[in-house]
Amino acid sequence: MTIKAIRAVATGQNGVGSFILQCKKLDFHYCDWAGSSKGMNGFIKSLLPKFATANPQVEFAISPRPGKHPVIIGHYINGRTKPICVRNLSPYEILKKAELLRDANGEQLKRHNRAVTSNKPSVRGIWSPYHGKGMVV
Amino acid sequence: MKRAPLQRWGGQLLQARSRAAMAAPAARQPFAASLHRHASSAAATHSPADDIPAESLRSPLPSPRPNRAAESAKLAALHARLSLSNKIPLETLARALVVPSADVNASFNNSNLAFLGSTFINYHVLEYLAVKWPRLPMTILYEALRAYAGKESLHQIARRWGVEAAAAPGEEVDPGLLQWKPQESGLQTRWGYVRAEAVHFDRFEPRRGISSRVVMDDEFGDTLQAPKTGPEAFKFYQDEAYGSFVQAVVGSIYTHCGREATRDFVQSHILSRQIDLSSMFQFQLPTRELAMLCAREGFSSPIARLESETGRLSRTPVFVVGIYSGSEKLGEGSGPSLNIARWKASMNALKAWYMYSPGNKVRVPSDMFEEDAKPWKAPHIDIGEII
Repeated sequence: MTIKAIRAVATGQNGVGSFILQCKKLDFHYCDWAGSSKGMNGFIKSLLPKFATANPQVEFAISPRPGKHPVIIGHYINGRTKPICVRNLSPYEILKKAELLRDANGEQLKRHNRAVTSNKPSVRGIWSPYHGKGMVV
Repeated sequence: MKRAPLQRWGGQLLQARSRAAMAAPAARQPFAASLHRHASSAAATHSPADDIPAESLRSPLPSPRPNRAAESAKLAALHARLSLSNKIPLETLARALVVPSADVNASFNNSNLAFLGSTFINYHVLEYLAVKWPRLPMTILYEALRAYAGKESLHQIARRWGVEAAAAPGEEVDPGLLQWKPQESGLQTRWGYVRAEAVHFDRFEPRRGISSRVVMDDEFGDTLQAPKTGPEAFKFYQDEAYGSFVQAVVGSIYTHCGREATRDFVQSHILSRQIDLSSMFQFQLPTRELAMLCAREGFSSPIARLESETGRLSRTPVFVVGIYSGSEKLGEGSGPSLNIARWKASMNALKAWYMYSPGNKVRVPSDMFEEDAKPWKAPHIDIGEII
């Protein structure tokens, strides 16, 4: 037997085969007294129940933080967190922020200046129908 | 700060004393004790005031009570994140998170579900590998199976599902956290025989043929070994704990939703991962093996021919060598010397032989379970390895 095997571990990519939402927990902090939490309190009363039922894959935690500005903190599968301060925002603006945190993947924001990011970049570039022999548009 | 109620203090002291008296068998609970713990918890819910002393007398459970599963937000979120069917109750998912090293009682840990799940994972991965690459050598087949369904791979899958572990397992922790300890559970959870020479494994590595691995060893061709200690033990038991959760989830899907749901889950979460099989081969005598292959298949014996070269007298020469059998080209390789190029060409020719695949759309035997399945056409079966 001249063949030996080298150990390897299969690599997966989220979205290939199955998709796992990367946001696993959202913390909502509010203050009962402070004016900057007015919108947050309205959001928790009116919009949050519907938002939470629409997103069962996220764990929701609501807790008071007296004397502080209201904040939403997203916890992600890669171990990072993203806090957003939502002082003086209206309930619908806060809903936008919560959706932003839910849809984020937890990575630090990066500047993407290429159209395609690939593990195996093409040597010849990306084919375009409008160049070379040309296609009449 | 939280204040501990005074009546509990006495209870805690009593508990400490009773546990000290019990000493060693704290880790192992007999089955009768587990029955008793249900009785005591039921009594506590009925009349909490009367039962406080009795409640504080009993030793804490090794894992959360099953009836707390419905309260856990983490567990419900995990259930939804995996898009599990509503037929799978949260209690089952909570049980899948209890690893035998945390709670050795098989009525409350995931050992049964994990064993059931591991058989399904291994079956689906193995049938896919065997049909898709029918000529893979047995060693490569074992490693490919491990790459998909081994502990490291399943650990990564569990991490990407967002499973978190409890700092220490116990009755009071959230049931949505993985309950495990970096130690041997004492439960036999793997299939395999303990070899007669296992007592000498610390002194020398005995030679193991492939056939004996199939019969004696576990599903990846590894021998059963004594419990690990030292720095690598933590990683070993961590892989095992997270991996057993993935296996137990598959086992619970089979228990509650049936065969087809299990197959779909394994395909979408485990078989959808990628491995590069061609980088897993390690050849020792590629030229000799290729010559034997040609002799066995009745091809004329392989001849290496120099196809092109550049910079023979420079510091970085490149030779391109092709391996021919008669007029047919079997493989091509390049390297900084003539011998290396020839070896690489033989390796490429052998890989081309071993990695023959009938295509990406192969039918596996379990497809025949479908209702309107077409008649089975036997896949290509290879006659075996060369040397």
